[in-house]
Amino acid sequence: MPILTVNGKSVHIQELNKGAAETIILIHGMFSNLSVYYFNIAPLLATQFHVVLYDLKSHGMSEKVLEGYDLESMTDDLLHLMEALELKKVHLGGYSFGGLIALKMAIRFPERIHKLAVIEAPDPNDDKTRGIIDEYSREFLEHYVENFTDTTKVKMGKRQMERNHRMYEYLFYQTSIKADMELEKGFFASAAIPTIEQPTLLLYGTDSNCLNAGKQLEGIMDQASLIAVPGDHNIPIQEPLVIAEALFHFFKETPN
Amino acid sequence: MDTITTKMSREEIFDLMKKFITEVIGEEFVEEMDISPESSFTKDLEMDSIEIVSFSEKIKAHFGEQIDFTGWLSAMDLDQLINLNLGMIISYIEECQS
Repeated sequence: MPILTVNGKSVHIQELNKGAAETIILIHGMFSNLSVYYFNIAPLLATQFHVVLYDLKSHGMSEKVLEGYDLESMTDDLLHLMEALELKKVHLGGYSFGGLIALKMAIRFPERIHKLAVIEAPDPNDDKTRGIIDEYSREFLEHYVENFTDTTKVKMGKRQMERNHRMYEYLFYQTSIKADMELEKGFFASAAIPTIEQPTLLLYGTDSNCLNAGKQLEGIMDQASLIAVPGDHNIPIQEPLVIAEALFHFFKETPN
Repeated sequence: MDTITTKMSREEIFDLMKKFITEVIGEEFVEEMDISPESSFTKDLEMDSIEIVSFSEKIKAHFGEQIDFTGWLSAMDLDQLINLNLGMIISYIEECQS
């Protein structure tokens, strides 16, 4: 299991097709991990590109960290990872919270990013999205698993429920994630997003409650185009091949 | 990388897979389970996807280039992945050896 030490913290990464000329880094979402890309999306992209997946702090198999969940800190982490891997300029893809990190990365370090793919990034000002963070409880997790994760067809057993519960408990009650997210409420309204010049692909589910966020981004970003894919917020799990192919063609064909 | 040189039997592959699963999910959980070739990864073993990533890494480290385990998994859709059982992996590894 490849573990890198970046800024004194252990980061779990996976690399595919290391010799390829161009690199794609994929960022997963909150409460998820790199496995969202590992099985289908990354192998397809790796037929042509060097693909780097990593687990965000306190997620998957990366080290638990108490602070630094705002977009500034999360993009610092990614920049340090790029430096550790000696990657000068990459294509970047992010899902959900990872999509926000990708946008922030293009704002802060435009010279390090070729093209940008944003999958289902929510508007941090949307109450429905932030509500998850405000109302977490064991009952919430059970309700959430019962009502939402069945769209991905995977039912959680007792051991998994415990594992997830421990992760949510840690992130919600011990880390600064709630307060840090609160600080990002104005992100979509900031003047920075329209300054992004990279060609940007926005991938959203037709039935997702984040679709409006995608339309909003398309409206304020000159170089962005939105593709709506059948599915909800879980499209990378529901339609991995559709997402993988859309990413592949975008990174391969759109002129820089 | 301890790449194998001799052909393993189904029983040997099964024991090796069981060892990998124990390393990934921990002995205390494995003790409560009756792992058999029919055990499915998500339902019976309750492995989540990041644990299956660790398991895949162990297979890669052990068999090296001989087996493209991730490539094999990537050809599966979600239903196939959910229904994946140990016996299917044993058969796949057996085929790669022949």
